[in-house]
Amino acid sequence: MATKTVEFNVGQGREMGLGGAGAPSPIAPFDIPEPELGTEQMLINIGPQHPATHGVLRLVCELDGETVTSVTPHIGYLHSSFEKLGEYRTWNQIVPLTDRMDYLAPLIYNCAYVMSVEKLMGIEVTERCKVVRVILMELDRIFGHLLWLGTTAIDVGAFTPFLYSFQQREKIYALHESLTGARITTSATRVGGMMADLPEGWLDQLLEFLDNFPKTLAEVHHLLTGNQIHIGRTQGVGAIGAAEAINYGFTGPNLRAAGVPYDVRKDRPYYDYETYDFDVPVGEHGDCYDRYLCRMEEMEQSVSIIRQAMARLPGGPINVEDPNISLPSKTDAMSDMESMIHHFKLITEGIPAPEGDCYMAIEASKGELGMYVVAEEGGTKPVRWRVRPPSFVNLSVIPKLAEGHLVSDLIMINASLDIVLGEIDR
Amino acid sequence: MGLIDKIPGSGSTRTEGGMFGPGSPTFLTSKVDALINWGRLNSLWPMPFGTACCAIEMMASAASNYDLARFGMERMSFSPRQADVLICAGRVPYKLAPVLRRIWDQMPQPKWAISMGACASSGGVFDVYSMVQGIDTIIPVDVYIPGCPPRPEGLIYGLMMIQEQIRQESLSKHFEHRAEDPLLVARPRASEAEVVGLTGPFGNSTQQDQISTGEFVAPAATEESLS
Amino acid sequence: MTDEQKSSLDAVDAGPIDSDAGEAPQPASTGDPSEHPSVAALLERFPSDVQGHRLTAGDQWVVWINPERSHEILTWLKEDPDHAYDMMSDVTGVDYGGGRLVEVVYQMFSTAHSRALRIRCPLPLDAMEIDSVFDLWKSVDWLEREVFDLFGVTFRGHPDLRRILMPDDYAEGHPLRKDFPLRGRFSRAEQTRRALAQDVERFYLAENLEAGDPQEVEAAEVGTIADPGAGALPAPAEAGEDD
Repeated sequence: MATKTVEFNVGQGREMGLGGAGAPSPIAPFDIPEPELGTEQMLINIGPQHPATHGVLRLVCELDGETVTSVTPHIGYLHSSFEKLGEYRTWNQIVPLTDRMDYLAPLIYNCAYVMSVEKLMGIEVTERCKVVRVILMELDRIFGHLLWLGTTAIDVGAFTPFLYSFQQREKIYALHESLTGARITTSATRVGGMMADLPEGWLDQLLEFLDNFPKTLAEVHHLLTGNQIHIGRTQGVGAIGAAEAINYGFTGPNLRAAGVPYDVRKDRPYYDYETYDFDVPVGEHGDCYDRYLCRMEEMEQSVSIIRQAMARLPGGPINVEDPNISLPSKTDAMSDMESMIHHFKLITEGIPAPEGDCYMAIEASKGELGMYVVAEEGGTKPVRWRVRPPSFVNLSVIPKLAEGHLVSDLIMINASLDIVLGEIDR
Repeated sequence: MGLIDKIPGSGSTRTEGGMFGPGSPTFLTSKVDALINWGRLNSLWPMPFGTACCAIEMMASAASNYDLARFGMERMSFSPRQADVLICAGRVPYKLAPVLRRIWDQMPQPKWAISMGACASSGGVFDVYSMVQGIDTIIPVDVYIPGCPPRPEGLIYGLMMIQEQIRQESLSKHFEHRAEDPLLVARPRASEAEVVGLTGPFGNSTQQDQISTGEFVAPAATEESLS
Repeated sequence: MTDEQKSSLDAVDAGPIDSDAGEAPQPASTGDPSEHPSVAALLERFPSDVQGHRLTAGDQWVVWINPERSHEILTWLKEDPDHAYDMMSDVTGVDYGGGRLVEVVYQMFSTAHSRALRIRCPLPLDAMEIDSVFDLWKSVDWLEREVFDLFGVTFRGHPDLRRILMPDDYAEGHPLRKDFPLRGRFSRAEQTRRALAQDVERFYLAENLEAGDPQEVEAAEVGTIADPGAGALPAPAEAGEDD
């Protein structure tokens, strides 16, 4: 497996503390003795309505001055019972629900869900569909990382990358919209294929985006990567070791920043990812700075994967040509009796599934996204639809990461985990 | 009530007495109103109560492509004490409802509320046990913006509707419209009958009792009479 | 439906449907266990505790085990170097309804051997308890809390087992059970009332931030339908109030 350890030499030779208290900031004096004062612990509440919690998250912190001695996250403020709703809907009717969980990278969820159902049903999608889904998933990985970049930068006070990243996101919104008609809630996939094939000119639009995007990424690199303030805020903050990271359930860039080269695309590949040539950035220290670097590098790797996928995009049908799975074309349904019956049955009843269950793990922008579906023989709706959200498990580590750090570091750690409350609370 | 009483033309519908008479509205009050309303509507500070996908569209509206700053909404006020208009963007579960109510109560008058998106307006796709079926059961809403999520243009249109409402407000009616009863703080805005009316099962939700096997799993009789 | 016609808490007291289906229908074992080293080893080492195995969705292996021995079996799966399941990806529950046993499902992955395995533990409906594996994998902290919250399965030995997605004092039951209606057990008016009666500032005293029992709810605030008490909704708005 080709991996690349990312190391940025910032030339200052600063000591980084792993775990425990963060490195002293460049401007704080550290030769003044601490005064003898009586203190007691403070209990403060951050959220659930707060600009820096990235959603409706409530953090109850016990503070000793500015230092966090313990933090307890409370979630559930966005619980929309997706999983129960899924039990009342047919397989294709669940696809619009998947957009609304991780609304920062909806196409990844769309694809992951139908991949899980297709695996359960033993449906092999067409080659074109596979490559198109790879393009869409990588595009949305960039999409999700861009929002992470913008909001994390703005949390530490850098306003400009927020505007830059949203400007690039607008281009991806336009791509979403020309493909599906919606900017965010795309619902682009169906069991057995896609809602629709790529429209005319979409690939050119995508190519234009890919040509211009690396320049903006380079600009943000220039603004943040060597920036002493950013480095002071992120290096040594929220560090975790490799074995601990695995045990605590970290996945995605958080895990890779800790030095574990686990990427679902490489270790449990799907859709011919083993045939694409890309590197997986692996960090060293497991702190916020390494997570930042991993995600920045991942965006560049995604650009490369999309280009490779575009080069190999075959022609042919986008949907499986099985009338019991894919809807027939409208002309056929209106003119041919059999097609009309298939259309009717697919819409009113749905696709019957075999008995069984399927856990499909894919590499979402936030980590290992698992879609678990349980079906009964002939069931047109799932008995159980479970989403294993990467952010849910990632966020549970925050009490361990933030202990001993300052409140401002807590905000930075929270931002660096790249969480989205929609998928945490489901 | 102080100054309001002294403004000619306030608080009564008689129109005698000419320009400075006691009738309402008069030239002076309408000009004062216009000035105050102009000031308010062009410098609304939104309180973004963003929860889900609509919040991302709200952020996109504030970013450079759609730019809410040109409407005077440059400063998103995350403190309700300094905000004018609460934009509830996204779905609100019952666990979050008291937080929303509290944020609303903390905002000083004059304040307006926008319910952005289908979920905030009516529960949206989520006619489920945990979701508030429309925040108007909890706080009074001035403008509802449909969409899932509404485009940034939709949000801007909704904000312009708020501006239009503000343009038609009058200082003389201020206490009538903007008075708040401290006893109603943290209580739902809608009465029980209204809640029943506002949140009745919609469309398919009453038929959504068929689960996967196609056989209806009948709950115990007492539970059935509850739902 | 008005509130007068419902008795608020009887349904909750009734609890889930009792299992009178006897033993859960055990799925017939399929697949050749020798294809998956862990399945073969489990059959060899814990023959009386493995209740069945299946090859599903093409290449995914599932093993049903006796929930009383789940901790021992999972410990062995984690610590034995030939299996070394160091990643517990997911813990969830499945409720089929109709009296069939509720199952707790573990999704495991071994980074050393690049192998995945699914373990399912069927639990009797009147005794939904299983040992927590928090001491083995810290990732199950919130995952087990969620199964407790949504299914009502108690995890023995979990340091902090309380509700996570629903409010701490949620009285309608465990939502993902099949006998729980989609729109909840209480009327919308009652849910609104209870929602706004929650204490927004509920915080934990310093000593309570350590593992402990779920918080006590102030029952007086919530009231009942017959006697709403402090939780009463206001009278209907008067006509003519234009806003």
